[in-house]
Amino acid sequence: MANREVGRDSAILNADGIAKNYGGIHALKGVDFSLSAGEVRGLVGENGAGKSTLIKILAGAEIPNAGTVTVNGEPLVLGNPQASLAAGISTVYQEPTLFGELNVVENIFLGREIADGGRVNWKAQYQKAVELLELLGLNPKLAGQTVADLPVGEQQLISIAKAFATDVKVLILDEPSAILSGKEISILFDMVARLKATGTGIIYISHRLDELAKITDSVTVMRDGEIVTTKPIVGLSTRTIAELMVGRELTRAHATSVAPGEVVLDVSHLAGGKALQDVSFQLRQREILGIYGLVGSGSGDIARAIYGIDPPSAGQVRVCGKEVQLSSPGAAKKAGFTMAPGNRRRDGVFLDKTLTFNMASSHFDYFSNKFGWMKARAENDVMESLMVKLRIKAPKPTTPIGALSGGNQQKVVIARQLVGNNIVTILEEPTQGVDVGAQAEIHKLIFDIAADDGACLVVSTDLEEVRTLCDRVIVMHQGKAFAEFPRGVAAAALLAAASGDSEGAEVEES
Amino acid sequence: MTSNVNTSVQPTKDTVPEKKERASSVVKVLTTDRMWLLVVLIVLLITATAIADGLRLLVAPFTVRYLSVSLIALVPLALLALAETFVILSGRSGIDLSVGGLVSIAGMFFGSMVVDHGLSIVLAAFITVVFATLLGALNGFLVGFLGFPPLIATLATGYAFSSIALVMHDGAPYSDPKLTGMNELTAGIGPGALAIPWHVVTVLLPVGLLAWMALSKMRWGRSLYAVGTSDSAARYSAINQKLVRASAYAVAGLLAGITALVNVAQFASARPDAGTAGNGLALPAITIAVLGGVAIAGGVGKIGGALMAALFVTWMNAIILIAFPGSFGSRVQLLALGIVLIGAVLLNQAAARHQAT
Amino acid sequence: MTHTPMDTLTVSTRRAIARERRTLIEGQELVLIGVIALVWLALSFATNTFWTAGNIQTILYSIAPIAIIGVGMTAVMVTAGIDVSVGSQLAVVTASVGLILKELQWGIVSTAVAALVIGGLLGAINALLIVKGNIHPMIVTFGTLNIFRFVALQIFGDSQIPGVPGTFSFIGGSSAAVTLGIPNAIWLAILLVLLQWIYMRSYSGGRHIYAIGNDARAARLAGINVGRKLFLLYLSVGFLVAVAALVQLGAGGLVQQNVGLGLEMKVIAACVIGGTSVLGGRGTVLGTLLGALLVGTVTSAITLLGWSSELTNLFVGVFIIIAVGIDLLRQRRRARL
Repeated sequence: MANREVGRDSAILNADGIAKNYGGIHALKGVDFSLSAGEVRGLVGENGAGKSTLIKILAGAEIPNAGTVTVNGEPLVLGNPQASLAAGISTVYQEPTLFGELNVVENIFLGREIADGGRVNWKAQYQKAVELLELLGLNPKLAGQTVADLPVGEQQLISIAKAFATDVKVLILDEPSAILSGKEISILFDMVARLKATGTGIIYISHRLDELAKITDSVTVMRDGEIVTTKPIVGLSTRTIAELMVGRELTRAHATSVAPGEVVLDVSHLAGGKALQDVSFQLRQREILGIYGLVGSGSGDIARAIYGIDPPSAGQVRVCGKEVQLSSPGAAKKAGFTMAPGNRRRDGVFLDKTLTFNMASSHFDYFSNKFGWMKARAENDVMESLMVKLRIKAPKPTTPIGALSGGNQQKVVIARQLVGNNIVTILEEPTQGVDVGAQAEIHKLIFDIAADDGACLVVSTDLEEVRTLCDRVIVMHQGKAFAEFPRGVAAAALLAAASGDSEGAEVEES
Repeated sequence: MTSNVNTSVQPTKDTVPEKKERASSVVKVLTTDRMWLLVVLIVLLITATAIADGLRLLVAPFTVRYLSVSLIALVPLALLALAETFVILSGRSGIDLSVGGLVSIAGMFFGSMVVDHGLSIVLAAFITVVFATLLGALNGFLVGFLGFPPLIATLATGYAFSSIALVMHDGAPYSDPKLTGMNELTAGIGPGALAIPWHVVTVLLPVGLLAWMALSKMRWGRSLYAVGTSDSAARYSAINQKLVRASAYAVAGLLAGITALVNVAQFASARPDAGTAGNGLALPAITIAVLGGVAIAGGVGKIGGALMAALFVTWMNAIILIAFPGSFGSRVQLLALGIVLIGAVLLNQAAARHQAT
Repeated sequence: MTHTPMDTLTVSTRRAIARERRTLIEGQELVLIGVIALVWLALSFATNTFWTAGNIQTILYSIAPIAIIGVGMTAVMVTAGIDVSVGSQLAVVTASVGLILKELQWGIVSTAVAALVIGGLLGAINALLIVKGNIHPMIVTFGTLNIFRFVALQIFGDSQIPGVPGTFSFIGGSSAAVTLGIPNAIWLAILLVLLQWIYMRSYSGGRHIYAIGNDARAARLAGINVGRKLFLLYLSVGFLVAVAALVQLGAGGLVQQNVGLGLEMKVIAACVIGGTSVLGGRGTVLGTLLGALLVGTVTSAITLLGWSSELTNLFVGVFIIIAVGIDLLRQRRRARL
C-alpha cells in the first residue's frame, strides 16, 4: 500500500480496487496497481495468481466486476480494447498476434492505417515503419517482408515494434522472452531500454525470474488474486522473489545418486530439422541427460528428430544396441521412445477431453484388446492411480483437462509417458509455463523415472532446470554439440558455451 | 478461449445450494447432450401432433402406422448423417460434400454390375460397397495425406462423381427385374399397425450399432476423437493422424455405398441423379449431423445424437405432410429444417454462456 | 554477452526484398491466365465456332452472375467465412422480382431498388445470425439455404412464372445488350470486380478483411470492428445476389422453380480456382473472375466439342484439385523456410 502512495505522484497508470470473478472463482480480489512514467515493472506470480486477468482488464479484453482505471488521470472506459488502445495502453501477448498474409508494414499499422479517405498511403506507411524499425534497433529491410515468411522470434520483436507504433504510454509485455533466442532477448532488452527512455511505462511479465534483475526497476508479486508486495528490484534475489510468489519456503529436489546402467540410447552424427547438423551422445539407464541451447541452436531439433516428428536426415540411432529407423512418432514409439512435447497447448493436450483420454492418447493399443476394443475400466483405474501418484489436483479422471492449471495439465502429459514399457523418455521444456511449486514436483517425477530404471533426455532452455536436474548437460551451438558438462555446473559456464564461448567450459568433450 | 479462465483458483465454499443443482443438472444434460434434447423434442413433437389430431387439425389421420411407415425415409438420411458425423469429427474443418455424387455413382455402378454384367445382387452389392469405400478413400487421400481443405476436395470429387454418374449410362437409369425385386427390402414388417420398413431393421440398426461401437468403444474411435480435437497432439501421441483422418473419409464412402444400395431398393432402379437431384443428399446429411451435436470444429459428437437427429427430422417431415396440405407441406419441410438447425445451435450457445457465468 | 542487434536478423534478410507495396498480380492469377489462354488456343484449333462473337458472348454472359456473386463470396471467404445460401437467395430475389415485373410492371429503377432491398434483407438475416448469434457461417447459411428456398417456393406458389417482360434486357443475354463486343452484364461484373479489387487491395477497410481471415481475435484486439465488417460483408453478398438476379432476369421469359439450385457450389468453385483459400486470409476478386471465366470456357468447350454437357462438372472438379494442389505446394515451400 505504501508503494502505491509513492507511485501516485508521477503515476501514468492507476488501477484501483480491480476485482474479477469467473463464476464462483475470484480471480482478482480488489487489486490496486500503479505505474510511473519511464518505469519498468516486473509482474510475477504463479499461474492463476491473477497476472493475466489484470493485464487483460487493462488491455480492455475483459470487463472487471469492480474497480476503476485511470491513465494520466483520465478515467479509462473498461472492457473495450479500442478504448484502451486510444488511451495509450498497448499489449504484446505471449504468442505473436500478427497477420501472416500481411507484410510487416501493414501489420505495424493495422487498425490505424495512414490513409486518405480510407485509401492507404503506402509510401508514408513504409517510411514510418522503416524509421520505427531503425529506432528500435531492428533491421529496416524487414518492412517489406510477409510476416508468415519470418521466424517466430522475429515475429515477436515485430509485434513489440508494432505496439510502439502508437502513441504508447503504457506497454504491457506478457512473457515476451518465452520464445526468443538469447540474441533476440538482448534486442528485446535494448528495445525496452529505448522505450523506457521515452517515458513509456512498461509492465513486464515473466517466468524467467533471472531476467527481472536485468531489465526491471521494481517487481510486483501476485498470489491468489492479490498483490503481495511491490518492491524495488535492487537487493531482491531470484530466490526471494520465488518465495514471495509461492508464499512458502522452496525446497529443490535433489538427485538421489544412482549409478547409471547400460547404454540404452546411442546417437551418432544425427542431423535433421531446421538447424541440427551433427550431434553424437550416449544415454544410459538411470541417467538424465540434458540438452541445452538457445533457440535456433538445434537443441529442439534433436528431440523432434529422435521422436520421428521431423525424421533425421543423417546419422544413426541405436536403442539397446539395435539400429532403429525413426520415420514417424509411431516408429519411434515402437523403438521404445516416448515424448512430452514442449508446446503443451498445441502438442501436448486435448483440451476438451478428459484426463483419462489425455493420459491414454498414446496408448490406445495398450488399452485395447486385439479386436481394437477399448478397456475403459483399465484406463480409468490407471488414471486414478496416476492422479494419486503424481498428485494431480483434479476432481476425477473424467474431468476435462482444460479445467486444470498449467502445472496439473503438464503432470497429466507426463503421466502419459509413464504408461507402457518405454526405454527412453524425452521431455521437452518439461516445466515451461508451470508455477514454481509444480516445477519442483515435476522435477521429482523425472528423477523417479530415471531411478526406476528409465532413461531421460531433457531438452530445455531453462538454465536452472538443466543444471540441477540433469546428470550431464550437452550444450548445443550452431547445430552442433559444443560442450558437455557434469551436474551442478555453473550457470555462467553453460550460458557461455551456448553462445559459443569455450573459455568457461570446465569439462569439454565432443 | 475458455482456458483463459484462471482455473487454479479454488472456488469459494458458498457456491450453489444442492436443490438447485438437481434441477439444473437436468437442464445441463438437455443443453449439453444433444441426443437427450432431441429425444425430448421428438416426444414433444409427437405429443403436439397427437393433440392436433384430437382437435381434427390435421389433413390425414395421425397413426402409429404412419410413423413407422415414414421410417422408410429415415434410412438413407441416417446413413449419410453418420457418414458426415465421422468426417466432421475428424477435424481440420472436416466435411464431405461428395456423398451425394458418391451415392449416384455407386448406385449406377451397382446397376451396371447387375444389369450389364449379370452379377448376383449380393456379389454386386459387395463390390459396390468396396468401390464406394475406395472413392471415399480418394477423398481421404486428398484430405489426410495431401492436405487439401475438405470442403474443396470433396466439392471437387463430388462434382466429378456426379458427372461420371450422369454420363456412364447416358443419363438413363438402370431398371431390371432383379433391381425391382430389391424393393422387397423396404417392405414393412411387424404386426399390423407396426409396419416398420424391413431395411430399418436389417440395415440401419446394425450399421448404427457398429458405428456406435467403432466410435465409442473401439480404438479407432478414440484415435478419431484425438485427431479431430488436436492434430498435432495426436501426432505427438504417436497416432498416425493422416491415416486416421483418411479412414474417416473412407468410412463415409462405405456408408454412402450402402446408402446407394438402399436407394436402388427404395426406387426399384438405379438413377443417375439419385444423390444429387434437387439440393442433393449431402446438404441434408450435414445439416442432420450438425443438428445431432457434431461440432464443425471437429473432435466433438456422438452417434446417438446423429441418429436421433435423423429420426427427428424424418418424423418432423412426415408430420408436416399431414399437418399442411399439398405442396405447401413439402415446402414447410425446408423451413422447419432450417429453423431447427439454427435453433439447436443457438440453444447450445445459450447453454455455453449460461455455464460460463 | 554483447550482441549487435542486427546480426541475428541477417538470416532472414537475405531473402528480404524491400518493397513498398504488393505485386499487382499474384502467382495463382498468372497461372490461370496461362491456363485460360492455352484452353482458348486449343479450342480455336479444335473448333471453328469457338472464336465467333456469339459464342464468346454466350460464355461471358453465362459467367456474369457467378462473377458478380463471387465479388462478395471472395471477401467472405477471405475472412474464413462462407455463404452457401446464395442459390436460395437468388431464387427469392428472382421469383419476387419476376412477379413484380410481370404483375406490377414496375420500371427499371423501382424494380432494381426492390431487388436490392430484398437481397439486402436476406443478406442481413445471414449477417445477423452469424455476427449477433455468433454461429458458424457454414451452419447459418446451411440453415438459411433451406429457409430461403421455402420463401422462394412460397412466392412461386405452385407454378413457374412465365412471360416476365424483358425490362432488364439491356443487361440480358441478347446480342443487342452488347457494348464493344462484350455483353453489358459482363461490363457490370467487371466494374464490380474492379471496385472490390481496389477496395480490398488499397483501402484500410479492405486490408482489414485479410487481417480478420488471418486471425479474427487478434484483429479485434488491433481495434478492428470485426463484427461490423463481417455484417457488412454478408450483407453485401445479398446485394450482389440481387444484381445477379437482375442479370438473370434480363432475358425475361420464364422463371423456373429450380432457379439458383446448386449455384453456391459454382460460385465457391470459381473463388477456389481463382486462388481464394477456404481457410481465410488469401484471395482476390480478380482471381475469382478468372476462375469463373475458366469454368465458363470449359462449359462452352464441352458443348462445342460435342461431348456430353454432363462432363462439365468432371472438368470443374479436376480444375479445382489442380488449382488447390498448386497452392498447397506453394504453402509447403513456405513452411520449409
